[in-house]
Amino acid sequence: MKSHILSALLAAMLLVGASGTVGAQQRPERFQRREQQTEAEMAVFHSPQAANLPTAETLKKGEWLFEISHRFFPPVSDGADALWGFDGPVTNRLGLAYAASDRVMLGVLRSNRSDNVELNVRARLFEGGSEAVPVMIGLMGGLAWNTQAPTGAGADENESQQYAQLMFNALLGDRLALGLVPSLLRNPTIVDASSETVFALGMHAQLYVSEMVSFLSEWIISEDRGTDQRHDSGSFGIEFETGGHFFKVMLTNQQLMNPTQFLGGTDAEFTPDEWRIGFNITRLLAF
Amino acid sequence: MVLALCWTSVVPTGSVSAQQAYQVELDAERVVRFTSRAAIEEFDGVTNRIDGFVAINTATLTAETGGDDTEFFFEVDLASIDTGIGLRNRHMQKNYLEVEDYPYAAFGGRIARAAPLSNGVFRVTVQGTLGIHGVERERSVTCDLSPIGDGYRVQCAFQVLLTDHEIEVPKVMFLKLNNEIQLELDFRIEPAEDTK
Repeated sequence: MKSHILSALLAAMLLVGASGTVGAQQRPERFQRREQQTEAEMAVFHSPQAANLPTAETLKKGEWLFEISHRFFPPVSDGADALWGFDGPVTNRLGLAYAASDRVMLGVLRSNRSDNVELNVRARLFEGGSEAVPVMIGLMGGLAWNTQAPTGAGADENESQQYAQLMFNALLGDRLALGLVPSLLRNPTIVDASSETVFALGMHAQLYVSEMVSFLSEWIISEDRGTDQRHDSGSFGIEFETGGHFFKVMLTNQQLMNPTQFLGGTDAEFTPDEWRIGFNITRLLAF
Repeated sequence: MVLALCWTSVVPTGSVSAQQAYQVELDAERVVRFTSRAAIEEFDGVTNRIDGFVAINTATLTAETGGDDTEFFFEVDLASIDTGIGLRNRHMQKNYLEVEDYPYAAFGGRIARAAPLSNGVFRVTVQGTLGIHGVERERSVTCDLSPIGDGYRVQCAFQVLLTDHEIEVPKVMFLKLNNEIQLELDFRIEPAEDTK
């Protein structure tokens, strides 16, 4: 008897559901499609950047991306006296990028740390994979000058720095985006006289929990070169996305933001005592 | 008033039946535009990807009735809509229109009546089923048809409520939409290939 009631209830629920949402409209037989259906644009990471690492995402041709980012010097562990770091001072970065095509972006970055100025280019080389696991691959490279090095020397007395990165991005289960960023960096240490090229491996993940909110984490393995480049760089935080803005708030042991600076490593260990607060804000501009 | 004479003037002679079929002229300019006027911002989305046909029974179409044997069907490729901002397009396609599940908006039905205006223009009222986002609604829409070449220029303007089609009204910044969306269509129809 109970099973009959259950069946009736289920049938009623199905009927209610069916009356609420009618199926897709049938095309008449005499109508033949003459144009191919447009494919929906794919995305792996929504933003062109993780905490520090780039993604393979690019903007639409003609769009601009303006960025302002901070990393607060005092660690959160300094407590209320330093307003958990917000008292500053800060590492500041300003950025502007322009999408020269749907696949190529040109950018300029400027950080107040060593007055590092960078010109860069990024290209989305490939997108594909399967429907279950979309994949995107990009390439990024840049040239930077430290116009006010820690020694006080200007750009003419410093070597320039260069870097190149490949961005391998994949999306799992429509929500978890993964990135692998093998990177080459020329002249990781600007205060020594020698030139060298080093390898760093960036890894990052982002979990999209809703249309607006995602959690991100990032780890960059770099060689221990002592002093201020002894440790790997780690960051984790939350991203708010609003269709034109990306607002990221994070905790990190890396205070530097320009690629030729953070790829070299950091002086702070990735322990809660050393975590600093940082944020990235980007605004998309279309004219 | 019977419009048969006016319609007959563009129908090739020698047709077996009085029905004349027209199809969207793909090579001519086609515009499908939606406009949202929200409190802070107004933006629109545009595509040219509309296709479809209309079959008219010229013998029985009047200002009061569409007569027998009329039919129309049009569809719009939703993933092609461009709002001018790539990220906004993606948000709209993925989270609101859900184009992977519902790639087309379609409107099909019959002609209710065709009233002549000046200069050979007809104000045609059509009744049919508008399907967007997998939800269908019965709608009556009025379009102006102006003779051009051996076909017509079709111009329509009407409103769609997002809630009518179970499309969530976005509230996040940068994608503020009014529930009431203005739709404008402007395209040409030409005699269908099999009746040319």
